[in-house]
Amino acid sequence: MVKIEMKGIKKSFGSNQVLKEVSFSIKGGEICALLGENGAGKSTLMNILGGVHTLDAGTILVDGKEVEFKTPGQSQDAGIAFIHQELNLINDLPIYENMFLGREIKTKRGLLDLEKMKQETTDMFQKMQVDLDPDMMVGDLDASYKQIVEICKAMMMNGSVMIMDEPTTSLTEQETERVFKLMRTLKEHNVGIIFISHKLNEVMEVCDRYVVLRDGCLVAEGSVSEVSTDDLAQYMVGYEVRTESLRRERTIGTEILRVEGLSCEPYFRDIHFSIRAGEIIGFTGLLGDGRSELFQAIFGAEESTSGKMFLHGKEGTMKNTTQAIRAGIAYVPRNRKENAIIKDMNIFENASIVTWPQFARRGIIDRKRHEDVFHKQRQALRIKMEMLTDRIDSLSGGNQQKVVLAKWLVSDPKLLILDNPTQGVDVGAKEDIYDIILKLSDVGIAIVVLSSEAQEIIRVCDRALVMYHGVIQGEVAGEEMTEHQIMKLATGGKEG
Amino acid sequence: MVQQLDKGRNLLTWFKYKWMNAPLFSTAIALIIMILLQTLVLGFDYDSFGSWFQAWTNNWINILRNNASIGIIALGMTLVIMTGGIDLAVGSTLVATGALSMILLDTGTKGILGMVGVTGVPAFLITIVVVLIFGYLLGALIGVTVTKGNVPPFIVTLGAMMIFRSVTQHFMQGYNTKVPVEFLQIASFKIGSYMIMPIIYWAIIAYILYFVSKRTTFGRQVIAVGSNERAAKLSGVNVDKVKLRVYALMGLLVSIAAIIQVSRVGSMDFSNAGRGVEMDAIAAAVVGGTSMMGGRGFILGTVYGMLIIAVMNNLLNLFGVPPFLREAFKGFIVIGAVLLQRKEKTS
Repeated sequence: MVKIEMKGIKKSFGSNQVLKEVSFSIKGGEICALLGENGAGKSTLMNILGGVHTLDAGTILVDGKEVEFKTPGQSQDAGIAFIHQELNLINDLPIYENMFLGREIKTKRGLLDLEKMKQETTDMFQKMQVDLDPDMMVGDLDASYKQIVEICKAMMMNGSVMIMDEPTTSLTEQETERVFKLMRTLKEHNVGIIFISHKLNEVMEVCDRYVVLRDGCLVAEGSVSEVSTDDLAQYMVGYEVRTESLRRERTIGTEILRVEGLSCEPYFRDIHFSIRAGEIIGFTGLLGDGRSELFQAIFGAEESTSGKMFLHGKEGTMKNTTQAIRAGIAYVPRNRKENAIIKDMNIFENASIVTWPQFARRGIIDRKRHEDVFHKQRQALRIKMEMLTDRIDSLSGGNQQKVVLAKWLVSDPKLLILDNPTQGVDVGAKEDIYDIILKLSDVGIAIVVLSSEAQEIIRVCDRALVMYHGVIQGEVAGEEMTEHQIMKLATGGKEG
Repeated sequence: MVQQLDKGRNLLTWFKYKWMNAPLFSTAIALIIMILLQTLVLGFDYDSFGSWFQAWTNNWINILRNNASIGIIALGMTLVIMTGGIDLAVGSTLVATGALSMILLDTGTKGILGMVGVTGVPAFLITIVVVLIFGYLLGALIGVTVTKGNVPPFIVTLGAMMIFRSVTQHFMQGYNTKVPVEFLQIASFKIGSYMIMPIIYWAIIAYILYFVSKRTTFGRQVIAVGSNERAAKLSGVNVDKVKLRVYALMGLLVSIAAIIQVSRVGSMDFSNAGRGVEMDAIAAAVVGGTSMMGGRGFILGTVYGMLIIAVMNNLLNLFGVPPFLREAFKGFIVIGAVLLQRKEKTS
């Protein structure tokens, strides 16, 4: 039985120390949960084990022998299989070809030996008690079977330790069960599994042992049978609460937006909430909870939604984003690079694109007026930049985000939706952005903050709605709004 | 870099800086070289400066006039490519709209306007308006299929290319048409002693589109859509509308080119006219610095690109390069231009 030990692992990226002497071990035939909030160091630790990153200090022992993993290949040769969240499967190839991708079996004449590959795949599926036809196209499989194919593929390469990075985030309960069944089979075959997950209920169900990381340190480990989900949530968050709320007393105005029974399968269903002028509400949850899709639907960027939406008391859903902007909705998307920045345009154009039609005279962009309003925003938001005509990607992440924010504020919104507003933004700029959010709410804008960071939600929001798998799992406000409580709801727990 | 520029100390540094950073610099240099070559090849074997200048001017007017309609099409193609699309149907749209002008104007028995008794200038005006609308609608049809039908532009316009020409040829077979001689004035009206109307049309359209692409909401939204469609949509750009309008505009420009062509020759060969125009238009855009990935393109660059290709054709002609080999030179120019442009920052 294999045993892998990592001792005193240290790793820094620049001045940021991500791992501070972490020790971790896994042996064959056990399933160990690796827990921690975003940024706790889980991925870095696993990337070191998988040969993606090199370690700064510490040792890795495989069966007591010291090894060095400089490339993913070396790690694979030692029997470690890293199953990433984004699967490495090709949808347009059948299962058996995917199983042998990059190390195809060939006949003597150099052609692919399809029969042999198919046979070996069938054998592996039998061994793993998986009921799948090797001829099926991977694209036709649901997410759980894709996971299963990926796992079996790793087994083909004689994997003895498997790192599974949030394998169940996008799965339904039934699909999750299927993956768990395979995990238990693997365990019987003496494979060790490192299970990274945010879903504590699942951890309780399938894992033997747990390890919790927080801020690059190992803070708790032990047997799963001795703890509750509450304990685990507390370990992850830590006791010290550094997140005093920034909220003050304010007057709340009339209702801006009310949503009744909004659904868009498979992302979210039956959403009810309302928001008033001057209010800041948070939407939080884990990856795949559907909150981004929900607000993109409200903003008119996604089609095919059902349910009712009332803006200023008037019913009507948004057909496209142009209409939404006219109705006074602004949406600052997540993943700035993909969704907000247009890299072929300069700073000025990126900062004014939203209001071109609004300010234009006979279709001609009113450059002067845009410059005037942007100049004001630039001072208010303290954007650090040189020339308006500079490339947008010459700015730092925080300043790019402020430019994106500026283009929306110019449009004079009544409802401002901020999806992960502090993503990829340094600490100073983060505080700036919180400051701006509070100021905006003071002038009567209704603000929705979407974030996966509970601390952020607590810091700026009046109340928070926690989503889990496309439904609103619960609402927290005031004293109840703690990281612990939010984490509990976000992992599928009930209120109380 | 900039400080060195201000001091003007070093021409080489300035040149390098421009070469790396000004997108149209290398294209402009190439064009200047072409013009110099053209002038050299023409020679100085003339009695006086006046006659040399006369020959030089005539040579240029010929080049420009012969390329005006493709030049106009290339301008529209630039906008289409800037959105990340392509239009292969321009050649077929050209014959379709050209055919319509014939049907309306024919001096034989079949001319519709002639049959209802409208002739002369009113007939010409009606023809122009109807043909322009028709071209616009054909383009819009392509645009609707691309946006609402969600079919890749390559496929839609490939299909449209076959359909438009085939239908035109079917209905126009054995249809020996002639337009009124007065209609030819549209292209051959002389200013002074020069037949430069097509060049003027080209110049006006180029200027308008240059302005549109630089200064108007629509023009800038075209770039936004081509550069990052998702971000454009999430910034309130009606992506479908922008694309639709680009293809419709393309159709409109092609119909203008069709009118110019018809009024130059007085008729149209429906099976051969406009064949390969799409490729020439794409080549001009690409040589002019337009990125096939979308998001980056220059109206002015396309004019340069068109001129570079045209001058090169003229040179090959003067050098007596065999006709079959000329295409190869065009191919080298296209690839070479993109190789040069790759030196610019790509991120």
